[in-house]
Amino acid sequence: MLLGAIARKLSEDVKTVATMPARTIRKWSYTVQAVRRGELPASEVLKVILSTIGATLVVLALLFPIYWILMAALSGSGSSLYTSESFSLLPSDPTIQPFIWVIGDLIVPAYSISVGIPFTDLAFVFQTPGIEILDASDYGVDRPSEFKRFLWNSLMVAIPTVLIAMSLIIPAAYALSRRKFLFRRKILFLYVLMTQVGGGLGVALLIGMYALYVQFGINDSKLALAVYYAATAVPFNTWLLKTYMDGIPVSYEEAAVVDGAPPWRVVTEVIIPMSTAGLATVFIFVFLTGWTEFVVAQTLLGTENYTLPVGLYAMVDEYSIPWARFSAFALTFASPIMLAYLFAQRYIEGGLSFSGMEG
Amino acid sequence: MSTVSRAADRIESVPFLTRDDASLLLVLPGLFVFSAFMLFPVLYLLGISFTNAEPANLFAGEGVVAVLTFGDALFVGLENYADVLTDGQFWNSFGVTWLFVATSVTLKIGASLAIALTVTSDLVRGKRVLRSLIIFPMGLPPIFTITVWRGIFSSAEFGLMNQLLTAFGASSVAWLSGRWTAFVAYNVTEAWLAYPFMVIITVSALQDVPEELHEAAVVDGAGFLARFAHITLPSIKRPVLFASILTSAASFQQFLIPFVFNQGGPARANELIVVYGYREALSFQQYGRGAAISIIALVFIGAFMWLNVKKGRLADGVNE
Repeated sequence: MLLGAIARKLSEDVKTVATMPARTIRKWSYTVQAVRRGELPASEVLKVILSTIGATLVVLALLFPIYWILMAALSGSGSSLYTSESFSLLPSDPTIQPFIWVIGDLIVPAYSISVGIPFTDLAFVFQTPGIEILDASDYGVDRPSEFKRFLWNSLMVAIPTVLIAMSLIIPAAYALSRRKFLFRRKILFLYVLMTQVGGGLGVALLIGMYALYVQFGINDSKLALAVYYAATAVPFNTWLLKTYMDGIPVSYEEAAVVDGAPPWRVVTEVIIPMSTAGLATVFIFVFLTGWTEFVVAQTLLGTENYTLPVGLYAMVDEYSIPWARFSAFALTFASPIMLAYLFAQRYIEGGLSFSGMEG
Repeated sequence: MSTVSRAADRIESVPFLTRDDASLLLVLPGLFVFSAFMLFPVLYLLGISFTNAEPANLFAGEGVVAVLTFGDALFVGLENYADVLTDGQFWNSFGVTWLFVATSVTLKIGASLAIALTVTSDLVRGKRVLRSLIIFPMGLPPIFTITVWRGIFSSAEFGLMNQLLTAFGASSVAWLSGRWTAFVAYNVTEAWLAYPFMVIITVSALQDVPEELHEAAVVDGAGFLARFAHITLPSIKRPVLFASILTSAASFQQFLIPFVFNQGGPARANELIVVYGYREALSFQQYGRGAAISIIALVFIGAFMWLNVKKGRLADGVNE
């Protein structure tokens, strides 16, 4: 149900993006006709064109570092950026070798299965074929990265983080949005305060936390780290989801109650479906907490349990950074998030406008 | 559900509590987990700051008893605080931190206002596309973008910034080896990291500015600057102020930029306060000193936030 709603939104978005060129051309042709008929002064149109070009240049300049690093990843050779003659807009010798290095082999090994028939000496031996999706050595990559191990570790941190945090956040946000109870204002006040202090507090507390975790012997545990991430995600996300739920008219709930729905059905049939956007936003934020956090993970986890950000930073040497591989690694790791961001953008913007702050 | 309603009935039988107060039970788990992971480390940090803790004595022994006695570390009273407060290194770090807050916040607000005005201008077409591109960096892991910026400010001839300088005929600069050039590099990076967040808030504030006000001002012959100063600024003051407070807290606690760029160097000159505490504890093994520094930083962050929430009436939304 939730997934269906998201899928519908996504297909709408894709349609909008796909029909964009046609709509733009139609608009431009209208404008050209208007200028020809003399309804619109040409100077006005020129002004619009110039400012649009200016604004586009500003945005491109802001995104230039990302473009630069993408080009570094594609121009391969594994060497550092600084050896190149000078910066060029397109890679001179494009290659996807760094990305192959990141992903490494994708091979399902061959298994042999033997089935013995009881009471006889007969046995059938099946040989399953090895499935070779991608063999890194075909592309001249000898020792692929440990990306898959880091990915597994990251997932083992991020998934519990999301599960724990969501189960703490959703009921609390509902209660804070709909009920009046003891200490409600005090708790909200605390959450707003903590929203602002945010993640930096984690670094200041790190010494205390590190000492505690080491003494309890849980400093190398991914689950313990996930619980910590979930805890830090609580104030901001509870408050964010609460402001979303505030926007749902109470009359829907009342209608459900009149129809004889028990309280839990009001929540599952009215509140949850109507706050899909809020839930998606909170989901992304919570997931990102676990997916991209670096300092705490680096301090607490041992080499075996490195998550993606820590694994990424481990590639950085004091004097040289293997830029091609570094950026291929980082882009592979960030690409799902960036896609989610592009689609969820409107919800995130809505959530961050702090409309709830105005009271 | 029946257990919950039974619990609710029981709560109702307690004087001073109403049936609605049972909803507190829905909030408590989150509050409890959060406090356990925030409050407890703070208390422990406070405890460590009064001892001569080092890895050798702090991690001696195991189990709950060792946790409560801070291992074999000895109580030294306020010695760590006295030490830290008379150390020139601390005051240098403290000063640099506030300077960084002042310069980076100014830069962030200025740049974000300019960007937000650009992408909301009536003269620009395709604003939605531009705006979705602009928040793109938000989706990238900070450790990645900061390392990329370290490459941009690389002292080598072919760092991007140095290529830009040589293209304009200037000579290249060893960015991260000079104290103030490194400081400039921190500021630029911080501004780039923070702009998507600031721009989102500013843009949504700008969209709420009533169009009629601008039209009336244009009829009265007000120019762009006059309209900006008398209409736009007053209307977006509150949200922008709110964003500035958030972002100045982020600047005060900036850790990753100095850490990744040059470990707060050169020669520890640019260690922002959080980096200073971290390095004292985890690089130089002085846990007691590091804890004392962190506690001082926490006191400042806490006081700053409390003032802002109280004075800035930021919690207005709470008073429904």
